[in-house]
Parts: sequence; structure tokens; C-alpha cells
Amino acid sequence: MKKILLSLFVILPFLGFSQSFQVNLQGQKQTAMGGTGTGYAQDEAAVFFNPGAVSLLEGNGVMGGIHALYLRSAFQQAGSGVNEYNKDRIATPFQAYAVYGAPASKLKFGLGIYTPFGGAMHWDENWSGKFTVTSLDLQAIYIQPTLSYKLTDEIGVGAGLVYALGKVDLQRAIPINQSNGESSTAQLKGTSKDFGFNAGVYFKDVSGLSIGLTYRSKVNAHVKDGDANFNVPEVLQSGFPTKFNATLPLPATTSIGFGYQATDNTVFALDVNWVSWHAYKALAFDYDNNATIEDTNSPRNYKDAGTVRFGVQNQYSPKLALRAGIGYALTPVKEGYVTPEVPDANRLLLSAGVGYRATENLNIDFSFLYENIKARTETNLETNLSGTFKTVVYIPGLSISYKF
Amino acid sequence: MKLNNTFRSLAAVAVLASFAACKPHIKEATPNSGTADFSRYIAIGNSLTSGYADGGLYLEGQKNSYPEMLAAQMKVEGGAEFYTPFFDEAQANGSGYLQLTGFSATGSPILTPVTSNLAITGTLPNGTPSYTKFTGAEINNYGVPGIKLKHVTTAGYGFANGYFGRFLPGSPDPASMTNYLDFVTAKPFTFFSLWLGNNDILLYASHGAVVVGDDSPTDKAVFGALYNQVVNRLTANGAKGVVATIPDVLSTPYFTTVTLAALQAAVAGRDLYIQTGAGATRKATADDRFILPLSSANVIGKPNAAGFPYGLHPLNPIASSFVLDDVEQAQVNDYVTSYNTIIKAAAASKGLAVFDANQTLKEFATEKVINGIKVSSAYIKGNLFSLDGIHLTPMGYAITANGFIQAINQTYGSNLSIVNVANFRSVKFPAGAAVPQ
Repeated sequence: MKKILLSLFVILPFLGFSQSFQVNLQGQKQTAMGGTGTGYAQDEAAVFFNPGAVSLLEGNGVMGGIHALYLRSAFQQAGSGVNEYNKDRIATPFQAYAVYGAPASKLKFGLGIYTPFGGAMHWDENWSGKFTVTSLDLQAIYIQPTLSYKLTDEIGVGAGLVYALGKVDLQRAIPINQSNGESSTAQLKGTSKDFGFNAGVYFKDVSGLSIGLTYRSKVNAHVKDGDANFNVPEVLQSGFPTKFNATLPLPATTSIGFGYQATDNTVFALDVNWVSWHAYKALAFDYDNNATIEDTNSPRNYKDAGTVRFGVQNQYSPKLALRAGIGYALTPVKEGYVTPEVPDANRLLLSAGVGYRATENLNIDFSFLYENIKARTETNLETNLSGTFKTVVYIPGLSISYKF
Repeated sequence: MKLNNTFRSLAAVAVLASFAACKPHIKEATPNSGTADFSRYIAIGNSLTSGYADGGLYLEGQKNSYPEMLAAQMKVEGGAEFYTPFFDEAQANGSGYLQLTGFSATGSPILTPVTSNLAITGTLPNGTPSYTKFTGAEINNYGVPGIKLKHVTTAGYGFANGYFGRFLPGSPDPASMTNYLDFVTAKPFTFFSLWLGNNDILLYASHGAVVVGDDSPTDKAVFGALYNQVVNRLTANGAKGVVATIPDVLSTPYFTTVTLAALQAAVAGRDLYIQTGAGATRKATADDRFILPLSSANVIGKPNAAGFPYGLHPLNPIASSFVLDDVEQAQVNDYVTSYNTIIKAAAASKGLAVFDANQTLKEFATEKVINGIKVSSAYIKGNLFSLDGIHLTPMGYAITANGFIQAINQTYGSNLSIVNVANFRSVKFPAGAAVPQ
């Protein structure tokens, strides 16, 4: 198990998002059930979904999982009849959790490592929007030690400290031509280390009803002294920056969820998430040398946006659980602000999965999530890039958990 | 664990199968040429049509002409092969052109002429160069740098303009005397673009509104008669086409880069004096337009025989050939406006599409953002104009091509795709460090 967990740390940058650059892939069972999990806790992923529920989990356990996220975007420039596509990439958001508490204790400890934000969008180096962006790799890994306390047999509360490690690599072409006629390029690359928290309360009664409420705080990812690599003609090089500072807000999420054990074998779950995207006002880069280019401040002006998720689980046999879910996420991106690095729009989520209990202690879960992001036609107010974006995402996933 | 493996393989198969067919779908255009027929497109025009840039006609410019771009889009909708009379690779630098090789200590661009691999073969009677004959059987791009509307019916024009002469046989072949209009209409065509008339006023303006050779502005009535004659001839066999208006000459960097303020900055703010078109001498104002060559002529402050510094004293003013005063500017603008009225009326009479190049290029007087690119008519950094300050960069020609495409689609109901402006370069910067000056 240790080996699996370790191997997860060396995984390449992942891509994808469930609402703008938020990634909602923190547990296979939950993903298979439409991304619900705030109000119905059933495994160690509760460290992420609801720290309050951790103390009510039965026994101790560890789990690790990974998704293969495949995102395809198409763009058709206004006035052109031809589609351009982003490059094929498979990205791998992951999650790992451990929950431990003494059998008689009301207190449980949890540790979660997961990737709640990210993106990896790669367009062709010569695509029509290359002067707006050619690629974005964004990765946030949250490490969350958690304490959860069982107030009564029905109510648990919990909170975790989030240590957020961020990594960004943004590239675009610059309309200054080299002697061979090729465009110049800019790469902005940096890392961040910041703190946040995740807190929740969970209620579960004997009738089969459960309710959860959670708040995951905003994390302001500060990139300090990031590398600004401007590949420009040598005669101009001295006027260009080499370092930059930037802050990217990773917004707060408030969730309420309900679970209902309808029969011995069937559970329904409903989640509503509210993401405080209004924090993302601008993508701004503060350069150390403004002789040739000014600091950039690209307005984003996101608005808060919600997601509704519904999931169902059927324990088909003692060894086999079947899951399905559906969700709808509203986009935080207002009209005129759609950008090719995150061509967001309202999206439909459809999911399914199976859980297999291999032994008393060993569980294997599979999930598959399909996201259909609505086509969106508009002109960006900053770059005047005008056209239609359409994106679909396919995300199979697998996790293994071991209870002890 | 056996089941686990099965699941894993099943999942892998499912993933691969679905990924193969999972491209997002945006409806792509079905080629449609509308009421136009693009099966043989010919381009008629001057330097702007030939792909002239950086003060010369050379192979890279020819490849990035707007007719080449239009033809590439037409090909999708049934257009045939399109032939530009390219210079050979061995003579790829054609007439020669200007290259940006560095910046002076004060930040002025240093331009160096390219003189190798030229296609120049000699000198014509009027002193202009002749070029290696084009021997290809087919021509679609008839762009001839320097040609005016008033030249199109001139017999023997090939002996006055080497760019046209290279299409024709040499003397004594009688075909060498063919005029431009007869030459371009000799083979049947179904679609044409017509962008003539710029040089009828531009060449006069570019000499500071001083007449050099036959560069006096073409009489408006002559222009009107000739333009209608050309349009009638081109549409005589039912061909459809697009015409373009004459750009606003005075908004090009050739006339906007060297400002009074810039000149004064170099002489500690002293007053400058100019000779007006009427022959008077007066103090220069911020409204006077100095031409780009003044910046490299290196004449300001040079004393004349009487010891008066050039431009800085009323007794040694800046020559009229370097400046357009207010009267001259009004005269140039009046010709451009009149010519454009003629062009639009002629097009309307035949139901032709009109690309208003004058309007389109004028919009770049203030910076516009196109797909994240800041484009303006500023010299070098504006991306639109090449190093000569009059002709366009490949990116500028791509913007022009899109203007033509939109006009064609609008008039004929075709759906030619616009070209990807981001794929075309603007001014090339030198390799290596700055050249000290």
C-alpha cells in the first residue's frame, strides 16, 4: 500500500475540471454516484467530502485511487468553417486517504492527499488563438491532516488543515517574429505553497437519513519569483522580464448533502455545491522588468456558481455494488470571458461505476464519468478571439482500499 | 483478483473505444460557392496584389500575397490551381528588399538592403530594372508593382515596368507590346479581384507631393473612364468579382512615423522650417506629414553653402519633397475620396462585391486586438505594415484577405473560410545581438 501511495506522488500533471478549473474527482464511489458524498459517507474519501463524517466511519482504512482524464475541446473560429482541436492528453488526478482511530475512541485521525484544482490544456502551437494561450498546466495538490470527533452516535464534526501545493505553467506565442519568421514565445512557470482548511458536520440517524454540511476554504495560491521565460529576438531580450509574481485564487466551496437508505440495498444521495468563484477577478502577472511589456491584468470576473448532483447505489450482491449518478454544473464564466485555457460552459455530468469486495478487507472500485460541456459561442472581451468552443470529457477511474 | 483483471481489461477496452470516437462536435461548413464560381480566379492589381513588402518583391512576399490566401480558401470550394509568377529559388530575393538588422543607440531601426540572389537582369530605357522572364505557362496573380490604373491600356508598358515585362516575351515579338488589360483577360476566367488605383495618387504623395517622372495624380475623369472600362471588360463574359477601395494613403507609417516632435527631439526642441508645396517657407507644425525616408536621409542640421543649418533656418528649409503640408494633404485625400467614389459606383453598377480597404486599414490608426494580437498602423511594432511603411506584412495581407473573403461571402452567399491570421508573420527581427551604430 505504501508503494501505491508513493507512486501517486510522481504522477504527471493532470488536466481537467469539473467547473472551470475545479476538479471534482476525490473518490471512486462518489464519482460513480455523480460526485455526491457530502451527505452520504461510506469510505475514507470522507476526509475530503465531509471531515465530520470521518468519526462515524466504521473501522480504519487506507485507500488510493487514480483517474485517467481525457478532455477534448474543439474550437471553430467565427468566419471559419473548420474546427481546431486541443491535443490528446491523458491526465491523472489522484487521491489517497488514511483514517485511523482507536476502536473505543470518539476521535479519529484522517489524512487526505488530493487534487481539487487543475487543468492541462494544450492547443496546437500554430492554432488561431496561439497569441492568447498555447498551453496551461495547472496543478494543485492538497495535503490535509484531519481530526474528526463523534459528538453523539448520530453527529460527527471534523476539520482539516489544508496545505496546498500549486504548480503553474502557462505558455503562449508573442507576435514578435524571430529572424526565421517564427513567433516569439512566453512561458510563465512557478510554484506555490499556501494554507487553507476543510471543515464539516455530519448527521446520520437510524431511519437511514443522513445530512452533511461542509465548507472548504479559499486558498490563494501565491506564485513568488516564478520564471518568466521570454524567447524573443536577442535585440529585444534585455527589455523583457525574467521573473513574475502572481496570485491565483482557488475558491471556497460550500456544500450540503443528503443521503437516504431507501432499502437494505439501495441508497440515494444528493449534493449541492456552491463555489465562491467571485474571488477569481483577474489573472494578473507582475513582472520584474517592464521596459518592453507592461504587467498584465486579464479580467476574468467569475461569478459564484452551483452544482447539483444526484447519485444512487445498489448493493447488487454481497460482493458487488452498482452505482450511477447525474449532475449539472453551472459555469462561473460570464459572457465575454471564455478563454481557451478553460473554455468553460454549463455542463452535464453522467456517471456509473461498480464496487467489488475482493476480500473482507479489500475493496476495488471503478468509476466512469462523462462530462458534456455545452457549446459556447462568443467573443472574448480582452483578446477578441471569437468563435465556438465545445468540450467533452471522459474520466475512467480505479481505487483500492484496505480496511483494518 | 481474477475479476479485477477482467474488469481492468474491460475498462481499458471501453476507454479506448470511446476515446476513439469522442471528439466534440461543432458543425463544420459544407463548401458552398453561392452564386460565384471560383473555378478560375485571377487577381488584378499592383504591388499590394503581388505580395510586395519591405520595399521589394521577393519570393516569401509572393507566397504570402492575399490572392494566394484567397485562392487557398477557394480551392476548398471548387477553385482550381492558382499560379503566382514566383521568382525561382535561386533568385528568391527578386528585386531585393529591406531587412531589419538592428537598432541604433537611440532606438531607430537599422534597415539593410538585401542584394544577393536577385532576379534583376538589366536596366529598362527609363532606368528601372528588368527581371528574369517568368516562363511558367499559367498565371493567376497578375499583381504588378508600380502599375497605375492609367497604365492598363498602355501598349508597350512592359518596357517601362520590369515587373510586367517579365510576364511578356522580349522584343521583337509583337506580344511584347501587349497592354496589361489585354494580357490579364486573354484567358477565360470566372472570378476576379481588382485592386488598382493606389499608385495613381500614392506615388505622387510618397514624393512629398512633388511630381517625379509621370507620377502626377491621375485626372479624376480619366480614372473614372478607365476604371469603368476595366470593370466592363472583366465582367463582359459573366465573371463575378470583388473590387477593393484605395487605402487611406496618409494613415500609413510612411507618413505617420516621422513626426515634428520626433524631429525636434533630436535638435533640442528647436523650431523647424519647411518649404510648402506652393514654394513658401514657413515654420513646421505638428500637422505637417514628413515622409519616412527623412529619418534616414540624415540631413537635418547640415549647413548649406551659406552656412544655414538644414531645416533649422528659414533660409535652408526642409525640402517640399520630404513633407506634405496641409494643402497637399487635402489634395491627396481629395483624390483618394474621389477615386473611391468611382470604384464603389462602378462595382455597384455590376453588382460586384466591394472590400473597403480604405475603411479597414484606417481602423488600425488606433490599436485593435485580433485574436490576442495588438495590431495598429504603427511602424514595425504595429504588426500591420512592412519595413517600407506602405506595404503590408504577411499578417497585414492576411487581415486584408479576410476583408476580401467577408465581402465575397456577403455578396455571393458563399462560405469561404477566413484565413488564420495567427499563422502569418509580421516584421522579422534580426538574429543575434543589436548591431552597434
